[in-house]
Amino acid sequence: MIKIEIVDDLIEPFLSHDGRLEQGSELMFNGRVRSMENDQKIIALEYEQYEGMAESELKMIAQEVSQKYPITDLFCKHRIGTVKVGETSLHVVIWSKHRKEGLDSMTFFLGELKKRVPIWKWAILQNGTKIPSDCTHS
Amino acid sequence: MIKIKLKCFSQVKYAMGQDEMVIEMKIGSTTSDLERIVRQRSEGKLEHIDLSIAINKKYVKDEVALNDGDEVALIPPVQGG
Repeated sequence: MIKIEIVDDLIEPFLSHDGRLEQGSELMFNGRVRSMENDQKIIALEYEQYEGMAESELKMIAQEVSQKYPITDLFCKHRIGTVKVGETSLHVVIWSKHRKEGLDSMTFFLGELKKRVPIWKWAILQNGTKIPSDCTHS
Repeated sequence: MIKIKLKCFSQVKYAMGQDEMVIEMKIGSTTSDLERIVRQRSEGKLEHIDLSIAINKKYVKDEVALNDGDEVALIPPVQGG
């Protein structure tokens, strides 16, 4: 199953539970906002999305992942709006039978997300100035 | 003439100073024509920035003819995550 959500408030993690008897691997990734941007201290990042397209691209990538790797479920939440330093901006959980496909599919999913999903960051500096973030790490 | 709704994000918004604008173009104009207009209007602020193109919220790879009423985004490098 694929579940994609774009949220504008604190991310509530997907539940980890013991009822999954066939999946030996539950892999979780949390992307968090760092305190430094280009050697400047920031107080938050503001995430901007292309509404409609960001969610549909995420779904498309998740479907590609499920076709390419034998995973059971991929759940993803991406936050938009203001995300303070230390808070989670991206939360992904992938369940699979074995760890290898979990790890490989997570790497692929995150890599494609960073290439294709129309979401951008604006850095909010300590003096309140908002500038486009330079961060485009793959 | 055709009217194109241009959506601006990140560096494109920064360069154009607007979230959205309507651009009138000749019938038969293409995505390359639109990109040229936007780069000219940005007065160099989009120099060295690669732009992908989405028409009606779907990426297009090659040069495509635009239609009246299309919503087009010139997408600077994305930064999700």
